Amino acid sequence: MKYYLILFISILLFSCKKEEKIEPVSIEKFEMEKPSYFPNPVYNFVNNEQTKGRFDLGRKLFYDPLLSIDGTVSCATCHSQGHAFAGHNVKISPGVYGLLGARNSPSITNLAWYPSFMWDGGVNHIEVFSVAPITNPVEMNETMINVVAKINANSTYKELFKTNYGTENVTDQAILRALTQYMAMIVSADSKYDKYRKGTETLSTDESEGLLIFQNKCASCHQEPLFTNFSYQNNGLDTAFIDRGRGKITQNPNDDGKFRVPSLRNVMLTYPYMHDGRFHSIEEVLEHYNSGIKQSATLNSELLSGIPLTENEKAKIITFLNTLTDYSLLNNYELGEH
Amino acid sequence: MKTNFKNTIIAFSAITLLLVSCKKEEVTPIEETPTSTTGTVAINLEHTFGMNTEAFKLDTFYVHPMNGDSMKFSTYKYYISNFKMKKADGTWWIHPESYFLVDLSNESSAYLQLGSIPVGEYTEMQYTLGVDSLRNVSGAQSGALSTTNNMFWSWNSGYVMIKAEGLSPNAEMGDFAFHLGGFSGANNTVETKTVLFTANNLTISPDKKSEVHFKVNTAMTWCTSGSCAGTSMIMMPGTLATQMANDFHDGFVFDHIHE
Repeated sequence: MKYYLILFISILLFSCKKEEKIEPVSIEKFEMEKPSYFPNPVYNFVNNEQTKGRFDLGRKLFYDPLLSIDGTVSCATCHSQGHAFAGHNVKISPGVYGLLGARNSPSITNLAWYPSFMWDGGVNHIEVFSVAPITNPVEMNETMINVVAKINANSTYKELFKTNYGTENVTDQAILRALTQYMAMIVSADSKYDKYRKGTETLSTDESEGLLIFQNKCASCHQEPLFTNFSYQNNGLDTAFIDRGRGKITQNPNDDGKFRVPSLRNVMLTYPYMHDGRFHSIEEVLEHYNSGIKQSATLNSELLSGIPLTENEKAKIITFLNTLTDYSLLNNYELGEH
Repeated sequence: MKTNFKNTIIAFSAITLLLVSCKKEEVTPIEETPTSTTGTVAINLEHTFGMNTEAFKLDTFYVHPMNGDSMKFSTYKYYISNFKMKKADGTWWIHPESYFLVDLSNESSAYLQLGSIPVGEYTEMQYTLGVDSLRNVSGAQSGALSTTNNMFWSWNSGYVMIKAEGLSPNAEMGDFAFHLGGFSGANNTVETKTVLFTANNLTISPDKKSEVHFKVNTAMTWCTSGSCAGTSMIMMPGTLATQMANDFHDGFVFDHIHE
């Protein structure tokens, strides 16, 4: 009897000695729905398999001001669901201590399709995207070392990372991948335009005419269905550049004054416009293309004489742009803070 | 009879528990090369500054032999990666996950251990100064490539190849910070180097502790156009960064094998 017990315990201890790696236990599948007319996403969750638990963990991080130096700014501060994940309709969103940067906080929907990130495309992968706002002195002003330390000091997070990523000590890699699980799922594909593409709704006469004008005059850069071709363009805002934009990244003067062509999805909600938020209304933007183009060496060749637009055409384009507002994105419970 | 029955139950549950508790190990068997057929090699990086033959130290003033700048370093760290070795029979052994951050504030980081190398005679070694372009574009990394090492540019994704910071009275503001990086096109600072073991082969065997020694002249980085009196701050890829990185590569040379 005693021998059996000793044998039993010693075998048990010995046999399981090697089992140190903890496997993630939350494996409930969770996948994004991609409309048939969307291209394949760039990010395909390699080494970061999608699960509901990881997505929920990423959402918790996205809404947590713990990621900033003084616990006042979260990702959602400048990327608010009610504003289609852009800033709160201000030119420049304040960071910690109310500090202001130089660029407008853009909408971050459909990031899984982006080949690069930021207004200047300086960030090359969605998983490392969050490092930039976290460490920027005028945004969250935190170090990655401190972020890792704060998460590891928090028993709730430690447990969540253990469950979902199988890590005893939470690493920056796991934190960044969890954030990516959430961010890549911020998909805007249910606007009236999408319902029209899916054949479940029809556009009004004005909306259809607006779409045609848009396709003729805007779509070479704001390409459907994501409403950007992801290129960098100088759209004639200035003759000299305070902000080099893409040129700062490539160190090539031919890229000076160029910025990413922004997606126009939810554009009516994401005013003010341009990289520096200089135009408050969509009417001002259209008038800029009609009569306000400023000449410079790197100006997009299609804009040399502007884009002539009549008042009627402008009105119809705006009517069409309204069909890009995705109300189900704004109301999506899974994407909201909870 | 009763005791026998009890014993049977205990034995039975022991076996069941054993099976259950070790289920995971069955799913992912650990494949280990028998230790008798592998060995290790240590890479020993010996840092000096200019003509000074003593070991290079942080927090010590040096005078640069070419440009005359006085420099006292608080930080000197760089990446070395992708070790691989060629056997006498022409086959290559590739070190997996081969990324090292050499940080001179931590002496042991200048002593790299490569393990699980198949025994045999090796005639050639390859390594990369900096981080290969693929890892610069592959998302969140870990270990030596973690963002917590402060060697990753957040606003212009990519690893800094070498980071040297400190004080210099020759610099306009009295201090210098050279963050040299860039991994593509004209701004590439990453270089793969090859060492041919011409004098004698590197022998890997389980009972031998072989060492490959490199001499790293830290002053070389400033031997062409880099100087504190000129540009004392570099924080992004560009022509000067690339030139200085090339000079750093030239200061990194194989010295000898110690067996």
